[in-house]
Amino acid sequence: MENPPHLILHSQKDPPAYSEDGVDLTLIRWMLSLTPTERLNVLQQNMLSIVRLKHAGIRAADY
Amino acid sequence: MQESVPQIIEILRVLDDRQVKFIIVGGVCAVLHGAPITTFDLDLVHSRAPDNLNCLVKALIDLDAYYRGHLKRIKPDIESLASPGHHLLMTRFGPLDLLGTIEKNLGYANLIGHSEEIQIENLQLRILSLEHLIEIKEQTFREKDRLILPVLKHTLQEREKNKKK
Repeated sequence: MENPPHLILHSQKDPPAYSEDGVDLTLIRWMLSLTPTERLNVLQQNMLSIVRLKHAGIRAADY
Repeated sequence: MQESVPQIIEILRVLDDRQVKFIIVGGVCAVLHGAPITTFDLDLVHSRAPDNLNCLVKALIDLDAYYRGHLKRIKPDIESLASPGHHLLMTRFGPLDLLGTIEKNLGYANLIGHSEEIQIENLQLRILSLEHLIEIKEQTFREKDRLILPVLKHTLQEREKNKKK
């Protein structure tokens, strides 16, 4: 049975996933595929996630 | 207490409505170029031409801007915004850092030739070129700036590879 797509590992034919200094190049390629508006939306979502996690951490510490 | 999330596009919209001339620099500039980093503040280098300072002060009134980290609510005025210094503000849409100049005393007039226009929603905005952003980050000794340098450099490399395809 074939693996579902999310289980397929990085093949040697693919461009490298990481640079030699450890930068995730797949994230860069993904960001470059977006429009500037979409990139800004990604940033806004990241901010929202961080704030939510921070508040979840504060609530958890209260218990 | 619920902490609100900065709304960068809303700050930019108010500045655009007031026809303020500025260049987006820093982390948001890097993200708009495609660098996968996260930042919480919007850094802008504003034109310190008298006409522009008038527009800027009106925009800052619309944004309810005041200096962060002061006990009193100090509002920015034309005289202070005309200086080459940094103005770390809080607005009703989140933090906004207005920079009279950045590394090596570079102001709006010096940077405009190293900027490019982009469109976000219906706004035409100016951002510092990725090449120049890297150059500036390389000159700084701030650890947080140096940390994102490899990401910026690889973003530039990947973008150049895409252009060749």
